[in-house]
Amino acid sequence: MPAMSEKKIRPEDDARDFAGAAWSIPSYLLSGMALYGGAGWLLSKWTGVIVFTPIGLILGVALAVYLVYRKHGR
Amino acid sequence: MSTLTLLASGEDKFTPPGLELFDSPPIIPGVVWFTKPVLLALLSTLIVVAFCWSAFAKPKLVPRGAQNIGEMGYMFVRDQVARPFLGKDADRWMGPLLSIFLLVWVWNLMGVLPLLQFPVASHIAFPIVLALGVYFLKLYLGIKHQGLIGYFKNMMFPPGLPKPIYLLLAPIELLSTMIIAPFTHAVRLFANMFAGHLILAFFSLVGFWFLFEKLTPLGAPIGVIGVVMTIAMTGFEMFIQFLQAFLFAMLAAMYIGNSLHPSH
Repeated sequence: MPAMSEKKIRPEDDARDFAGAAWSIPSYLLSGMALYGGAGWLLSKWTGVIVFTPIGLILGVALAVYLVYRKHGR
Repeated sequence: MSTLTLLASGEDKFTPPGLELFDSPPIIPGVVWFTKPVLLALLSTLIVVAFCWSAFAKPKLVPRGAQNIGEMGYMFVRDQVARPFLGKDADRWMGPLLSIFLLVWVWNLMGVLPLLQFPVASHIAFPIVLALGVYFLKLYLGIKHQGLIGYFKNMMFPPGLPKPIYLLLAPIELLSTMIIAPFTHAVRLFANMFAGHLILAFFSLVGFWFLFEKLTPLGAPIGVIGVVMTIAMTGFEMFIQFLQAFLFAMLAAMYIGNSLHPSH
């Protein structure tokens, strides 16, 4: 294993970050929607308050966008 | 082929092609699994092996012929796919990455090769097998290089976030990396090839139907549009085929890279 200890910003790192962010966005968005939308749907089912489902979906998307921003954004 | 069978059905109305395009009967009666996509997948493997053999088996100092093209492909995969994500480890992973890129590209090209004309990846089983291979490789490398606990810790708890936020974000990260990412990896390739094949079949059937089967003064211009669109869409489809092969290999490199070194 070559050592990866030295941390330098190379042009490749920028490209890596950009492509990584761009192509991992769909999978994060889907995960956020499935997870929190699913939780909201369960809440709706148990409480009978329908509005929990869209709230969960939107919360999931917002959290996923925030996660992508924190991981790849500057 | 399917165009001809549809035309032979003797209907009076134009019926657009549908899912029956993707049902292929066994080539040898009785051998159920051996269908056209399987044959094309085997053929693609042969093509990639033969190409790499002729390009790389006896390298010359001054490349000629197949070696020239092979080195162009190698440089492309190394500079655009491997190095941005793997850095110093890029050369060690060129074997699998170049194989994935070439195989997926040839699979996709089968969609526009005359007479063959069936994109292998439009049957989702094929991309699933490749994506699962990359997925297990990713898990193995991640656990090997970061440890079982370290791998999941680095994945779910990237440093620099307020504590309560982790509670909300860690499940998304876990679900994304473990389930959704390999799923989208396979589905992206499958869906592009599936839709592309449907579009090409539709426009060529429009051309066949209105120019050959039911030629009328009013229908002929529509048939001409169908032929023109078939040609334009074939060009566009070839671009998509290359792009999807590139993306599939690029995502594989990204997953491998993230397993070798935790993302910051």
